[in-house]
Amino acid sequence: MFEGCDGMMPRDFISRLRAGAALAVAVCALALLTPAGAKAAESAAVTSPRVTATLLSSRDTVAPGERFHVALVQKLAPHWHTYWLNPGDSGEPTRIEWELPAGAKAGEIQWPAPTAIRVEPLVNFGFEDMALLPVEITVPQDAKPGESFALKANASWLVCEKICIPEEGSFTLDLTVGDASVADQAAQDRIDAALAALPKPAPFRGRLGAEGDKLALLLAGLPAVATELRFFPVSDMLIEHAADQRLAAGEKPVLTLTRSSAFKLQQPEVTGVLTYREGGERRAVALVADADPALLTAASGAAAPGARPAVVRIPVPSDGADLTLWAALGFAFLGGLILNLMPCVLPVLFIKALGFAQVAHANRSEAREQGLLFLSGVLVTFMALAALVIGLGALGAQVGWGFQLQSPPLVIALAVVMVLIGLNLIGAFEIGGSVVGLGSGLAGRNGRLGAFMTGALAVVVATPCTAPFMGAAMGYAVTQVPAVALSVFMALALGFALPVVALSFAPALLRLLPKPGRWMLVLRQAFAFPMFATAIWLIWVASVQTGPQGVLAALVAVLAAGFVVWLIGVTRGSLPRRIFGSVLAALVVLGAGWFTVQNAVPGATTEARAGDVGVWSPERVAALQAEGKPVFVNFTAAWCITCLANERIALSRDEVKESFAKLGVVYLKADWTNRDSRIAQALSEQGRAGVPLYLFYPGRKEGQAEILPQILTPDIVIAAAARAAGREAKTAALAP
Amino acid sequence: MKLTRQGFIAGLAFSGLALALGPALADGPRIGAPAPAFKAMDADGKTRSLSEFAGKTVILEWTNHDCPYVRKHYNSATMQTLQKDMAKEGVVWLSVISSPVGEQGYVEGPKAKDLSVQRNAAPAGILFDPRSGMARAYGAQTTPHMYIIDPKGTLAYMGAIDDKPSSSPSSLNGAKSYVRQAVAEMKAGKPVSEASTKSYGCVVKYAPVS
Repeated sequence: MFEGCDGMMPRDFISRLRAGAALAVAVCALALLTPAGAKAAESAAVTSPRVTATLLSSRDTVAPGERFHVALVQKLAPHWHTYWLNPGDSGEPTRIEWELPAGAKAGEIQWPAPTAIRVEPLVNFGFEDMALLPVEITVPQDAKPGESFALKANASWLVCEKICIPEEGSFTLDLTVGDASVADQAAQDRIDAALAALPKPAPFRGRLGAEGDKLALLLAGLPAVATELRFFPVSDMLIEHAADQRLAAGEKPVLTLTRSSAFKLQQPEVTGVLTYREGGERRAVALVADADPALLTAASGAAAPGARPAVVRIPVPSDGADLTLWAALGFAFLGGLILNLMPCVLPVLFIKALGFAQVAHANRSEAREQGLLFLSGVLVTFMALAALVIGLGALGAQVGWGFQLQSPPLVIALAVVMVLIGLNLIGAFEIGGSVVGLGSGLAGRNGRLGAFMTGALAVVVATPCTAPFMGAAMGYAVTQVPAVALSVFMALALGFALPVVALSFAPALLRLLPKPGRWMLVLRQAFAFPMFATAIWLIWVASVQTGPQGVLAALVAVLAAGFVVWLIGVTRGSLPRRIFGSVLAALVVLGAGWFTVQNAVPGATTEARAGDVGVWSPERVAALQAEGKPVFVNFTAAWCITCLANERIALSRDEVKESFAKLGVVYLKADWTNRDSRIAQALSEQGRAGVPLYLFYPGRKEGQAEILPQILTPDIVIAAAARAAGREAKTAALAP
Repeated sequence: MKLTRQGFIAGLAFSGLALALGPALADGPRIGAPAPAFKAMDADGKTRSLSEFAGKTVILEWTNHDCPYVRKHYNSATMQTLQKDMAKEGVVWLSVISSPVGEQGYVEGPKAKDLSVQRNAAPAGILFDPRSGMARAYGAQTTPHMYIIDPKGTLAYMGAIDDKPSSSPSSLNGAKSYVRQAVAEMKAGKPVSEASTKSYGCVVKYAPVS
């Protein structure tokens, strides 16, 4: 038995142990008995050349039913350490077994935040200089004042420098039960200080997901100024303890961790201590993180030979995650600007611009006022949308940009709006200066509300279109604290409003426009057709989401809308007529609305839409890569016009198909037309909040995907296919 | 003590370099992938390599005779019994000593052989890795730390010797030997059910990167 002392402890030391002590002394520890009559609040010490350990009590006298703390104190020689709950790469945590008076209870050790102790190239988690390990003791209700209350702790610990010595010791505290408790102030102060320094529950939950070979710990809610982060997991089979833990560049607080070679995760919650520096102060919080279910290993822990632990990884470096605030603001602004050119937005804006031209010739300051009202309409609507996205996100919903189009009734409502705008543009009805001045800037009736509403309308019709640059910025925004997210949306709104506002402010630009005349009427009518086309597209989207019932609902809604504007037109005049018209219109709107909501329910699976290409799943990507096949993944949605444009312009072109066939590329589609939490999750892992997203995975196991631009050409896709396949060839050539 | 402290300082001085190797360690060997090749001197002064054992199952045992965890397994004779049982199965058992000169566990050929005689140990070979190259390649963290390589040279198991991470001899009662389990499963042509576990023990003493 004594051989365990590495010969560092001469045997004659052992013989110096005093027999008959109430102290069972550690095999390797030298006991120096404190004389009897020492203060009850601290036990006799168990000492070795490495550790002086005592049991400390905050009470001399305990009261029946009370809870109080004791603590095992280890005073360590320089360079020696004892271990935390998860000891790191080697070692063993301190353990205590209690012998307590009848009815008394002892809690678990309340572990202080550990430090990382480097033993290059490995690391241990533990304590140097001093470890004070508090334990809560509960005195039974029926303890009798005057009785003794003797606590005995049998503790064992491993103490290491470079070499490791297991030590153990027994500690007794002879406390007494009294009517009221009597504290030992010095001991109480030490224990209270230790309790105060324990990691407090973090005010936020983490999220642990896969990021390629690594693990990504999302720490939304972490103070922005936190530096020197380190996560100490309780499980010793989660991460490589010695690997660097990097906070992802940019402001999105994601800590990148290296997966343990013995990776095992069977609980959906990961617990640990997060330490960081904030304004010069070291802080430690107890963190609970929700693990991506895909990370969970099989319950048996079984892994077939040739397989790493059963985990799903989506091996892509994230671009959105690395954005800085300024870059995100810049992208958002640019994206907003480009949004103006989208086919559903352009008519509304052009009509507005023409309205400016008209008033500008007469009154320049009115044009400016209109421009600013338009701007405020855009800003208010964007802020409302942002608040909605942030609010839903805070409630835990998986939302992203364009998410509103995942609701069929909203898609149909937008189709109705498009039809109404089209009818208005073509002159089928005029809108009085009453409730809304939908885009009707032409007839000189553009009241202030009209200009404001045009801005709001422009935002609403823009939502189906995710312009290039916007994806990354939106992805960034939805993972940030609300103030940052709102700034990004604000930048987007400013970019979006810029052309129209600039036009209203720049007389030079306005002068370029011809004088108002018949051409304006013709152009206005012509612009009705893109609106009808947009309506057709939206109804098609609804049909994909819901099937034939949705088409019926959409067309009934369009019919009802047309009937109502006609009805209001013909019932103008006397009050009874108007009342009759309004009541009938309200009934028709209610009836059609009810019918739409009843029938436009997402139903049929969207798999059919994938057509001749495969349906995406992370497992499928991993499996195909393992087979050596390059994989192209198209994250798309029926309501995403950029996605559809890319499919028409690039992805369904023959030369692209041929190149895929020649290089053996497997084309998978992830369809986000209806809500799908796995797709939302995959998008967020790329730092994106919406579609489109195009990923090209090379045909080798765990190869990192390349992210393609949001606007595709056949050349871009073919070149990426060659890279994905070519990289494979190079790797094979280099392999021994 | 003096030597150890020098070692500590040297370790600090080289920690930058060691950090550069950190990722290499983290990327370490993988179950199902070819086991890292090695060449190391044995107790007889001969150079041994993984390739010479092609076609046989090989067990690597990282050891340090002074480590309390290693002692638990040798003083109780469980390690020696395991070595002999594995030899009967035709498995090649190699004990690996990575301790550099001056560190606990460092021995030279005669002393190593002497230890085998004293302890009645029966490894097929004892390999010296005083520059820790082999330890780095395998990502060895503790003594003991066990690796099993199948006859094709593929890594089949890495991790602890059993499921009782303690230095207390009483922990051997009822302990499940991951090594026995893995070898039995391999023999039966089954996948190794627990192929990667968390090793426990004393820290492997690494030589500074030079």
